Amino acid sequence: MKFIKKHIPLLIVLVVGVLTLASYYVPNKYSVDYLELMNKWENIVSAFAFLLGLISLFYSHYNKIKRKTDGWGYSLFVYVGFLAMVVPALMNGGRQMVDGQVTSLGWSFRYIYNALSATMFAVLAFYIVSTAYRSFRIKSAQAFVLFVAAFILILGKVPLGQIIWDSVLGWTHTGIDQVIEWIMSVPAVAGKRGIMIGIAIGAVVTSLKIIFGIERQYMGRD
Amino acid sequence: MTEPWMIAGAWLAAGLTIFLFSFLYRDNPFFKIAEHLYLGAGMGWWFQVYMFNIWKPKVWEPLMAHQWGVIIPAVLGLSLVTQFIPKISWLSRYGFTFLMGYGAGLAVPAGLSTDFMNQIAGTIRPFSALASMTPFAIFNSLLIALGVVCVLFYFFFSVEHKGSVKKVSNVGIYFLMVYFGAAFGNTVMARFSLLYGRFDDLASFSSRGSFYATQIILAVMVLYFLVTGFTKKPQQGEEEAH
Repeated sequence: MKFIKKHIPLLIVLVVGVLTLASYYVPNKYSVDYLELMNKWENIVSAFAFLLGLISLFYSHYNKIKRKTDGWGYSLFVYVGFLAMVVPALMNGGRQMVDGQVTSLGWSFRYIYNALSATMFAVLAFYIVSTAYRSFRIKSAQAFVLFVAAFILILGKVPLGQIIWDSVLGWTHTGIDQVIEWIMSVPAVAGKRGIMIGIAIGAVVTSLKIIFGIERQYMGRD
Repeated sequence: MTEPWMIAGAWLAAGLTIFLFSFLYRDNPFFKIAEHLYLGAGMGWWFQVYMFNIWKPKVWEPLMAHQWGVIIPAVLGLSLVTQFIPKISWLSRYGFTFLMGYGAGLAVPAGLSTDFMNQIAGTIRPFSALASMTPFAIFNSLLIALGVVCVLFYFFFSVEHKGSVKKVSNVGIYFLMVYFGAAFGNTVMARFSLLYGRFDDLASFSSRGSFYATQIILAVMVLYFLVTGFTKKPQQGEEEAH
């Protein structure tokens, strides 16, 4: 039983991982076909992984409603929201537009999902500003550098900031857009490259540990 | 969609937008309704995306055409759902290990070529064309190279950070701070552009054609907060505080 429960899954990781890795470095018809097939398979398995999350969410809210816990009524709206997207999708075969006309799915997407998701992320703007106010206390030279970089980026992207920059530092004959471009393409790139190189080394090492079965936390408990 | 549907949509979108914004004042039932609706609508949206882009064309239709090969990924995918049945939850390992193996196999070349080799190449390449570069471009290339080395020193923990290593890694922190500041600034502006978009939509829903949806819903929300503000009994903690 241990063979079926533990060794076969580890063998799957090893075989799929090594073949995928090798396919990248051994370009021929078979490796291209293999990568194409695996990509298709991965799409299918990932779609079922979504189902795992969906069932988990529904189960959790079903339990809230069943046990009538605090705020159980709100859980009903999870199902309402779900049906508000899925029913129109089934009616229109997943199409938002038919013959230039917005379908009921397009309507649901625009007036429900898009309105909600855009607002949810827009609300974060207020929290980011509030966090910035608290975290941008300039206590060190490094914090000052962080503040200046963020300030210039924010200032330069609004017309008022450009007007202020031109009236105060116009004599330098350097526009704030040029300063932003320089920050983004020189010092910020240096910082980003260091991080990316570090991430790459970490990702490669972790991937190799997964392929060779050294890292196996994702397998869960026995 | 007919005109009445568009008006109904305007009212719905204006309502949901204002309900979510109302959280900025304080938590309230309208926000919670919109929050839960968002959760469900998000899942519903992705469910139909997967249904019409993956399950139907890549699983159902091939099966109907007797292409039995898709049974393998479908079974691997279905094995994930066994997580909910403790007795056979170990079966889900088959699906997970496939995803992990494929992901890890792809991550190695992607990490090496895109994030590792390309970044180093991008740092070094300008020095092969120094003769054709302006003094300012040479300065920029040197600054990037210096920054990358200093940042790498900051992340290098195999030697103790003291003496000259500490000095170099401290310079690296400045480059990191510039990057974090720039990334933060960009994030703030991205969020604000979304905010402008929402305000723009609210403004368009406030027109006569939408039967003043924004103003009416906003007025109702203000009324709600006024009424609950006056009638709400103070909480136990609040009483003690007073």
